[in-house]
Amino acid sequence: MHESERRLIAATLAAGERRSLTRRDVLRGLALGTGAVVAPSWLTACSASEPVGGTATEGSAGQPKRGGSLRMGAAGGGPSDSVDAHKPVTKPDIARVHQLYEPLLIRDNAFKLVPVVAESVEPNGDLTVWTARIREGITFHDGRPVRPEDVIASFLRITDPKDPKVGAQLLSFLDRNGMRKVDDRTVEFALERPSALFLDAISEYFQGIVPEDYNPEKPVGTGPFAFDSFDPGRQSVFSRNEEYWREGEPYVDELVIIDFTDDAARVNALISGQVEAIESLPYGQISVVEGDQNLTVLESKSGNWNPFTMRVDVEPFSDVRVRQALRLMVDRQELIEQVLVGHGSIGNDLYCPGDPCYNDSLPQREQDLEQAKSLLKAAGQEGLQVELVTSPVAQGIVEAAQVLAEQARGAGVDVKLRKVDTGVFYGDDYLSWPFAQDFWGTRSFLAQVAQGSLPTSPFNETHWADKDFVSLVESAEREGDEDKRCDLIQQAQEIEYDSGGHIIWGFVNLVDAYTKKISGLEPNVAGHALDRYGFRHAWFV
Amino acid sequence: MSVAEPGPIGNAIERVSGGQAPGLLRRSLAVGRTRAGLMITVLVVAVAVVGPFVAPASETGFVGAPYTPDAAGTVFGTDYLGRDVWSRFLYGGVSVLALSGLCTVIGVGVGLLVALLAGYSRTWVDELLMRTTDVLLAFPAIVLALLFLAVFEPQPATVVATVAAGHAPRVARVMRAAVLDVAGRDYVRAAESMGLRRWPIRLGDLLPNVTGPLMVETGLRLTYSVALVAGLGFLGLSGLEADQADWGLMINENRLGFTVQPWAVLLPVIAIGLLTVGTNLVADGIARAAAGTDREVGG
Repeated sequence: MHESERRLIAATLAAGERRSLTRRDVLRGLALGTGAVVAPSWLTACSASEPVGGTATEGSAGQPKRGGSLRMGAAGGGPSDSVDAHKPVTKPDIARVHQLYEPLLIRDNAFKLVPVVAESVEPNGDLTVWTARIREGITFHDGRPVRPEDVIASFLRITDPKDPKVGAQLLSFLDRNGMRKVDDRTVEFALERPSALFLDAISEYFQGIVPEDYNPEKPVGTGPFAFDSFDPGRQSVFSRNEEYWREGEPYVDELVIIDFTDDAARVNALISGQVEAIESLPYGQISVVEGDQNLTVLESKSGNWNPFTMRVDVEPFSDVRVRQALRLMVDRQELIEQVLVGHGSIGNDLYCPGDPCYNDSLPQREQDLEQAKSLLKAAGQEGLQVELVTSPVAQGIVEAAQVLAEQARGAGVDVKLRKVDTGVFYGDDYLSWPFAQDFWGTRSFLAQVAQGSLPTSPFNETHWADKDFVSLVESAEREGDEDKRCDLIQQAQEIEYDSGGHIIWGFVNLVDAYTKKISGLEPNVAGHALDRYGFRHAWFV
Repeated sequence: MSVAEPGPIGNAIERVSGGQAPGLLRRSLAVGRTRAGLMITVLVVAVAVVGPFVAPASETGFVGAPYTPDAAGTVFGTDYLGRDVWSRFLYGGVSVLALSGLCTVIGVGVGLLVALLAGYSRTWVDELLMRTTDVLLAFPAIVLALLFLAVFEPQPATVVATVAAGHAPRVARVMRAAVLDVAGRDYVRAAESMGLRRWPIRLGDLLPNVTGPLMVETGLRLTYSVALVAGLGFLGLSGLEADQADWGLMINENRLGFTVQPWAVLLPVIAIGLLTVGTNLVADGIARAAAGTDREVGG
């Protein structure tokens, strides 16, 4: 299952259409999505901390040049792919959405919010009303200007209770009837409850602004590339948006996105010159690409994480000492070396290391087998035997389980691996496995908590419901002052650090590759491939 | 003269039930390809059986960075998770051999029973059993296996049952023809006329006289079992523990790094290839020797 598919289901759940996650939902998701990882970044940005480079137009290889057709190899995709602005599921879908559409705001490479379709978005004093001003002179691909009616229609479409889109759940606090046109370039949004998360909720790539009469069959947006043709599961073609609002961009005349479900085929396409850039270079192939002097590896840190999940409400993990012992028996660096071949950064059982509020005062947790053993002994669980449910739902998941099982032997814990099919994993028992794994994208802390760490969250794998934690998080979301909000968040993180149900051992680097014939792509911390599919500022050298 | 009649018939029964198998084995070994096949098979089996005891590193431990062909202290480098390829290879043969052996024994056993029952009943039992086999034969073995494993969670026992179930109807078909051929011979009639019951005749007269085809069939089924079990392992359906070494699984696990670290794929491929060729040569040798036997008897 794909991250955005998980959000799509969440949106459906929030809309009250379904009370529980059914197998059918998930299998439909599986049929749609084959990829892994990827996801958004919001609020204070849950990303790795080193923003690299400024705007890519000032990249290393001199002045940008115009012209050429750029072909990109995307990972996955299938016959149910779409070019819908608000329903991207597979990686090729996401790559296409980035070309065709733009949201009001977006996170730039340094993780600051920058205006895109909007010029500015401002809140009132208690965070209940937000006012957006539309960029002057911005037009859709068909030449019509962007009007407040289009903005309102876009958000009504996203939050449609009958057909909620990927971003609907994020906007659960939005009052659908409270959106108002103030003048020809100004829109007012009313919220049902105060929330500091509004800016992050609207700055996602899947919250694009489309015309009031939007037709996904003939997609129109404000993005750098306009729609040409689309053959689901095979390839899609886009042409340069001549009226694009960013001066001079895009540089290439045509962009072709080609689907490759097979990893080896994608790499071969790059090596043979069939495409200029590919996403998701398998770790095993990195040395092949590095050894080719015509190719470059593009590696980006991210906040994407693949935790082990222990349910805090069932034996033996209901005893906090068992959870602590398991966290102590993990050698995090070895996991990064063996599973990610070193392409990752170490975790401290906390998510969102890039969040400005991230609590980095907590000491890095290291492997301590003696301490782990004595905690298990104190809990009466010497020689503990547990079943770990694993499934190849994303790259490196099953591998991580194998490494964990090996490490557990050192603490006298027998971890039995039960490898199940992805359909079974996300089937009826998903979210009730006592000890399993999952994968998550890059988010801000509060946004992540809303998705997975509250009793009300759609994907609370660990059944985490600590009362103090919940009240700290609720206060933080209502808090307008950033310093005070950070203080609350850090307190909440300390509770998870001490007694949470996740084992978070590391964060995955994204590894992509392109030929040296093109330039302008930089590492990006947003957790999306190829500089967040930033082909608008790529050019042929 | 009538007094002398029982003599030859009695001799025939004695000669036949006196065991044709040892003689056939001896004659098979005289065929060059049997000897070559046997040597190859014994070699691979030895690697699989002795391997775990002589492996330099553990089955699951890490010895270096993933996909490093020249990792320090290793013969064939490391696999996709940084484990020793040579040790994984030495550990990984037992599962393939044990599973295919079991599949063969069970599959051939069941098939033989059906053949003996059907081939020597000449009633509706024969019809019922053979039409059922025809239905089962309509499914290719691998499709049947995938179907079963999609319904039941893959476990070694399920794999054995599935593959054996694929073999049984094929063995039954071939062996029934052999049984049918023998069932019409004089010594069987003689046994019947002596009032022997059906099962003693099946076991005492029919079975010893179909050992030739039976051994060929066993060798052939063993070859198919190896290929099928390794194939299911490749697809990750052999139901073994996720970190257990297995030749079929090794090929799948490491195929993405083939250009960088070919040994992790080549070693199991070579072993499985040799094993199938070896068992096939043995089966072929026995078939030739058995064909010779038939000529002797017929002549």
